[in-house]
Amino acid sequence: MTSPLLEVRSACKSYDEGRIEALRGVDLSIAAGEYMAISGASGSGKSTLLHLLGGLDRPTSGEVLFRNSGLGSAMDLDTYRSSYVGFIFQAFHLMPTLRAIENVQLPMLSLSRSRFDRAARARELLSELGLEHRMEQYPNQLSAGERQRVAIARALANDPQILLADEPTGNLDSVTSARIMEILTGIHMRRGMTLVVVTHDNAIADSAARQIRIRDGKVEA
Amino acid sequence: MAYQLSFSGFVWRNLWRRRLRTLLTLCGIGVAIGAFVGLVGFSSAFEQAWLRIYTSSGTDIAVIQRTFLNTSVDESVGAKLRALPVVAQATPMIYNVMDLTPDVNALAYGWKADSYEFESLHILSGRRFSDGKPEVMLGDLLAEDLKKKPGDTLEIQDSPFKVVGVYHGGSALEADAVIMPLDQLQQLSSLQGKVSTFHVRLRPTPPGESPEQYLKYAQAQIEASLPTLRAVPAAERASNNEFVRLAHASAWGTSSIALLIGILGIANTMAMSVFERTRELGILRALGWKRWQVLMLIQMEAAVLGLGGGLLGIALGWCALHVLAALPQTASIVSAHVALPLLAETLGIALLAGLIAGAVPAWRGAQLSPVEALRCD
Ligand SMILES: Nc1ncnc2c1ncn2[C@@H]1O[C@H](COP(=O)(O)OP(=O)(O)OP(=O)(O)O)[C@@H](O)[C@H]1O
Ligand SMILES: [Mg+2]
Repeated sequence: MTSPLLEVRSACKSYDEGRIEALRGVDLSIAAGEYMAISGASGSGKSTLLHLLGGLDRPTSGEVLFRNSGLGSAMDLDTYRSSYVGFIFQAFHLMPTLRAIENVQLPMLSLSRSRFDRAARARELLSELGLEHRMEQYPNQLSAGERQRVAIARALANDPQILLADEPTGNLDSVTSARIMEILTGIHMRRGMTLVVVTHDNAIADSAARQIRIRDGKVEA
Repeated sequence: MAYQLSFSGFVWRNLWRRRLRTLLTLCGIGVAIGAFVGLVGFSSAFEQAWLRIYTSSGTDIAVIQRTFLNTSVDESVGAKLRALPVVAQATPMIYNVMDLTPDVNALAYGWKADSYEFESLHILSGRRFSDGKPEVMLGDLLAEDLKKKPGDTLEIQDSPFKVVGVYHGGSALEADAVIMPLDQLQQLSSLQGKVSTFHVRLRPTPPGESPEQYLKYAQAQIEASLPTLRAVPAAERASNNEFVRLAHASAWGTSSIALLIGILGIANTMAMSVFERTRELGILRALGWKRWQVLMLIQMEAAVLGLGGGLLGIALGWCALHVLAALPQTASIVSAHVALPLLAETLGIALLAGLIAGAVPAWRGAQLSPVEALRCD
């Protein structure tokens, strides 16, 4: 059996000195190249799980392994985030002071890469996402769908193996949502990238090859 | 257009985003640095002027009291000094600051009429004074200030003195001074038989010896024969006398306070900026920025504020020195030119101020947990 790309072992996450238990014993493994949707009620712990998968946070107990290395122990979280993971948020989270093309270069500043390379790579990614005429705009000059496409380009900047999206269509209308999901699944297929999407939308969840539901901090059987 | 984003470009964008706040912070640190440049520049010009008193008259060594409390030297020391083989000439003098009129105070020197110090004075009108007579000579600037010329009478501490000459001195400090017979100043300051210092010209350096060695040797000779006194080389005396020390201390003291306020200004700006950008800093961490990179970002913003303020301050200080150089009272002491080492020192201090001010905000920014920062709106 091939070992999974990501593995969560009996992960718990509590806040407020244990008064709030966001995750209570999650076991999960994700294979390389998989497309998985996470759904569940609001407050069930979806984002918390995604943050653990992305190395943004550590479990209170249990562990998360990336290619058999413990995140936060054998593998440094900063390195993991900068080199292996791309994040996409519901609220886009672009820097308002930077042009689209500069926003895409932001993650590349954390790795040693020449300035010229960075700009060229950003240009290439934005073109791939159909934004060749929007590269020089600031976020407030872009539509919501365009902003999310810039954010996707930014998530791809360092060529990650895993793409994590937390309700990427939550702020978009249905037509734009469909377009964004088409882009994400397209990237997943073309690049063989592992894609994990947290969503409320059943249609999106159904489109994924694998679907899990979280209820009260646990993965539903 | 390439639109290449660099680390420093991002720093610049963050500062430019809050232009007004950045500008105000720059003004704060700029005024502090300006005060530093102006005051320290002025006090070192003062020291230079003091040094010229010695160099223009060829004084190699000043002999002063060893203890701090008793600052006067017995006049009888002169004979012992002159008897030393290294000493060519030794001339006693008193200096003091005196109120001449309610708004004019000046340096007053008491010299002997045969003092070698006269060699560096250029007598513009009148003549040298005579020992034992109530006569004074005025520096050209002071004479102009007081509107006195030879033949006029000047009241000093209720005693009438006859102005016998007006001179131009080798040092700016002499331009604003009054010189009178040693005995007259001794009487005025109740220091009969005492002097402030002896100025000593040494015999020429013997061949084969370096001037520094010879100076050390002469110092040792003088101190050996007069154990209660110190022989201080002119250059050291220029930087170490009470007036210059006071000028330096007040320059550094005042500008340190200004600098502290400037640093607090930057610290406040950076703390606010980190607070407002909490979520953005969380996003940067989520995008793979490491803790030290967030730290660097904030420190660089603070450093740019410090350096920018430094440049602004140098411009302000330079203007202040220009104003001082144009005022008649200070023109002769202050030159509008700012020494290069002072500029380098100033920029160093400005940079350091920025880094110190940025340290705590930067550390706090770097400590943020990415998840907590992202949750914050
Ligand atoms: N920093 C925190 N401090 C306290 N409680 C927290 C914190 N972060 C999350 N929680 C709690 O943990 C639980 C799970 O939160 P999480 O954000 O994972 O839910 P979610 O499934 O993503 O919900 P939604 O669909 O609304 O985004 C919630 O009850 C939330 O209030
Ligand atoms: Mg959520």
